Amino acid sequence: MKRESRPTAEKEPLDGRRFGTLRRRRRWALWGSYAALAVFVFMFLIPPFYMLMTSLKTSAEISEQRTNPWLVYYPTVQNYWELIQDRNFQNFFVNSVKITICVVAVSMAISVLAAFSLARLRFWGSQVLATGVFLTYLIPDSLLFIPFFQILGKLSLINNTWGLLLIYPTLAVPFCSWIMIGYFASIPKELDEAALIDGAGWMQVLFKIFIPVALPGIIAATIFAFTVSWGQFIYPMAYLYRSDQMVLTVGIISDLIRADVFQWGKIMAGSLMAAAPPVIIYAFLMDYYIAGLTAGATKG
Amino acid sequence: MKTKGSGISRRDVLKLGAAAAASATLPLVHVRTARAAGKLSVGFWDHWVPAGNAAMKKQVAAWAKKNKVEVTDDYITSIGNKILLTMSAEAQAKAGHDILAFDTWNIGNNAENLEPVDDVINSLEKKYGKINPASEYLAKVKGRWVGVPSSSGSQYKPSCARISFFKAQGLDVQAMYPAKPEHTALSDQWTWDTMLKLAEPAKKANLPFALGLGQTSDNVDWVGALFRSFGAELVDAQGNITVKSDAVKQALEYMMKLAKFLPDDVYSFDDASNNRALIAGKTALIFNPPSAWAVAKRDNPSVAADCWTFPTPAGPKGRFVPHLTYFWGIWSFSKNKSAAKDLLTFLMQREQVEERDIAVDGYDIPPFMSMSDFKIWSEVEPPRGTVYNYPVRPFHNATPSISAYPAPRDIAVQIYNRATVTTLVAKMTKGGQSMDQALSWAQDELEGFKRG
Amino acid sequence: MSWKVSSADNVHRGWDAAPPLPTRSDGRQDDEMANRSILATLPREEIARMQTGSIRRLTRRRSTIAFLMCLPLILLIFGLVLYPGLYAIFLSLLNKRMTQFVGLGNFTFLFQRSTFRLVVFQSCLFAITAVFAKAVIGFTLAHLMHNLPSKNQRVWRGLLLVPWVIPLAISTLGWWWLFDPSYSAFNWVLNGVGLPEVAWLGEANWARFCMILVNTWWGTPFFMIMYLAALKSVPEHLYESAAIDGANAWQKMRYITLPMLRNIISITVLFSLIVTFANFDIVRILTNGGPQDQTHIFATYAFQAGIQSGDIPLGAAVSLFMLPLLAVASFFILRGVTRRSKEAL
Repeated sequence: MKRESRPTAEKEPLDGRRFGTLRRRRRWALWGSYAALAVFVFMFLIPPFYMLMTSLKTSAEISEQRTNPWLVYYPTVQNYWELIQDRNFQNFFVNSVKITICVVAVSMAISVLAAFSLARLRFWGSQVLATGVFLTYLIPDSLLFIPFFQILGKLSLINNTWGLLLIYPTLAVPFCSWIMIGYFASIPKELDEAALIDGAGWMQVLFKIFIPVALPGIIAATIFAFTVSWGQFIYPMAYLYRSDQMVLTVGIISDLIRADVFQWGKIMAGSLMAAAPPVIIYAFLMDYYIAGLTAGATKG
Repeated sequence: MKTKGSGISRRDVLKLGAAAAASATLPLVHVRTARAAGKLSVGFWDHWVPAGNAAMKKQVAAWAKKNKVEVTDDYITSIGNKILLTMSAEAQAKAGHDILAFDTWNIGNNAENLEPVDDVINSLEKKYGKINPASEYLAKVKGRWVGVPSSSGSQYKPSCARISFFKAQGLDVQAMYPAKPEHTALSDQWTWDTMLKLAEPAKKANLPFALGLGQTSDNVDWVGALFRSFGAELVDAQGNITVKSDAVKQALEYMMKLAKFLPDDVYSFDDASNNRALIAGKTALIFNPPSAWAVAKRDNPSVAADCWTFPTPAGPKGRFVPHLTYFWGIWSFSKNKSAAKDLLTFLMQREQVEERDIAVDGYDIPPFMSMSDFKIWSEVEPPRGTVYNYPVRPFHNATPSISAYPAPRDIAVQIYNRATVTTLVAKMTKGGQSMDQALSWAQDELEGFKRG
Repeated sequence: MSWKVSSADNVHRGWDAAPPLPTRSDGRQDDEMANRSILATLPREEIARMQTGSIRRLTRRRSTIAFLMCLPLILLIFGLVLYPGLYAIFLSLLNKRMTQFVGLGNFTFLFQRSTFRLVVFQSCLFAITAVFAKAVIGFTLAHLMHNLPSKNQRVWRGLLLVPWVIPLAISTLGWWWLFDPSYSAFNWVLNGVGLPEVAWLGEANWARFCMILVNTWWGTPFFMIMYLAALKSVPEHLYESAAIDGANAWQKMRYITLPMLRNIISITVLFSLIVTFANFDIVRILTNGGPQDQTHIFATYAFQAGIQSGDIPLGAAVSLFMLPLLAVASFFILRGVTRRSKEAL
């Protein structure tokens, strides 16, 4: 029996013995993967966990050295409560949200239009631009903020949240454009040809075909732009100094660290609250993010 | 970019001269020229004690109302070098506040863009005596004062010691520097050698002196004061590199002996590390303003009640206390300079300075020796009198000093910011280099700083 | 013919793809325009009519519209990237007081400073080690994740993305608190198992390790996600044929996965190198150059020797030091990627 049903190189293995080994092998691989992933998750989450624990401690407990720093013995939500009620912190939060949403909208608008034009429509220099857009990251932002002083100064936008609106897109647009170009280019040309024959204009082609098809990619790029804008530090640090204009990342550091006095509990509480929005957005839109990168970013 | 000159026309000079003459003779009457009214925008340093900002706001508002000037005051933090970035921004953009707070070295770095304030200084010095030499060194560029030393944010970094430990070793710090205006014979014995003798028992008692050898300001300051008290100069006043002198070698030999008794992590100390060590009860001595003690009051009261502040030890060439000065500078592009000068003169009058100092529990240091007798320093507690000897008083026989003095300012700012002094020490004590190797490295570094 | 589509119609192609010219119903091949496939189904008269009218109009409109759509990007790049960039380069060619043009004077000066040579060494050590670690760990994680059934991946992906999602300046503060000499929670654990405390940020080599650790911790999720996305697009049947031919896991990776992922690996490594060389926050917050300048990298040294010491042109020169090298590397890598995409068709 066994000899007759021994599989050849082309046929699917059918007898129980071979099939069982494969399944067992696959199951080992699966459990092995879970175990390894668990180890990595543990290592990755050590700092956020510690930040969470610290945010629940009082100042006295943080300074006191005898107990286990990884656990909280006298938990308190005082740090969170005080921050939520603090006028400045609320301001920071609102400013962050305001500026991030606007920057994301502007960045995506620029990226989508540019990507569409570079992927589909040809004009002189488009090839260079599509490749070169990537190179805008070569000048580090720790240097770039100096010339930006002049630009913002001339426009009287220093110490103004809207000044950031002008500058943040430089961070996200190149990468988003690059992702979108990849995505758009992989949409078959037949689709827009069909539309054009039917009399549609290019803008309609963009809105009615490309955007629905490329929606995962657009969401992926949006999430990237959001993360980058939300977490920016150098630019708001350089250009904003009035409390009512500041954003979260800088506000936490400048408000809760005074000279050489650190309020660690509050700093950690503020940090976690600042980290919450991106984490939540990722949790909900994760699948789109992956799908978006799947289709558009792969090359070759 | 080409920087223009200070942009003063002759007419301005004449106006200044008139205003200066007037304010010198009538210090309490603010001359209202045609330009004194209008708007003024000020960027103050964001005091780490919030009450300090509130006091400043009050004073500014009172002045603004009296002089009918519309004043906008911002409070900008120094964390993350924020105020430095603001400074650079405004200097580049030639737009921004009228008056801005400048810390230690940046007042000189921006001298070309600042309005000379000799008139304000002269009027203040006539009333209150000379400004301390450290501040003068920092803010007097090419013979002209470009900034008014402020009390807000200015600080000393004297010794802050645990009374109980020192008493157990036979040194009663409270008797050495009592909360009274008298000089004791005991205080003359507070020298670097005495401190060295006590460093070893401190380490044995698990309270090693938390004297940092990192690269931030707190670390550079105390080592700079030590060097100066040995007469050791890295670069002399003419700009010659004197790092291989005997005095420097003496200072380094001392540091080699001392470093054996310091905790291992002093090489990575930042400005808050010594604070944390004190608050955690892990050290018997730090060089710091009273901010550490103030936080200990909240987080570890038993340690706070055991602290006493007094000047730094003396060396062969004298007693020098590290001093950081904050300045107020008027940008040359300001449109309301006379009002700005009025405001600064007002804010530096004794009544205002004292009122603000009370609000911050005595943390701020006025630039005049005549103002070293505020009552706040006697009253703050526990223990009562703990910061009596925080400001340098006439009977201390101590001089406020800044690290890298007396090198020419352009070179000194680099020595300070690049922490050449502490790095030099660390290369020997931690890096295992011989004195010659370390000195050669320092020579090389300093050569680079001389570039113009 | 309806032109409303769904995402199912998506086809993976290189972004430079030109679709092959189709043959007409009578066997001949047209080479006027690529979009002939639809026309092939229409009667000749209609084709003739359209050729004179709408298509020519489309061609004329095409490049103007293209340019207009691209205009915001062009304005952004010229106004907010090229102009400041060129200004920054110009700054680095000035003397200290910014009154004179000194050409490459700043750069030659830097070459002579032993501290700067140390900075170059440290920056390269930091960037290359960190990027390598991120790529390897990210690749491993992507593989592990890929083995899981799709529905289970969600939670794991979410958890592993957390480091990248928290703003870097803030998470670095958290790490700093973990490394603090007096209060380090890591040291508490070490003490608990009887090992001596480690001066995490106090000793040069440990400090460098911490920098690389934090950067790797922060950047790996990005690599993981990019590789995971790319892995999903490798056709299953390639692996199956290889399995049938008797290939083991290692060989599958070498001969199938790596070649197929070559482009994405190049792009992510390049992007990460550029960003890591420019890193400022991590070192600034953790060590600010570290014990005796031994963790200084370009951006932090530029800040300290430049803005803080009142010599902005020198700071600019330091920051731009890697620019030529990275630009050349980018050129070659991107050209390789583009070429491979074209070849793939």
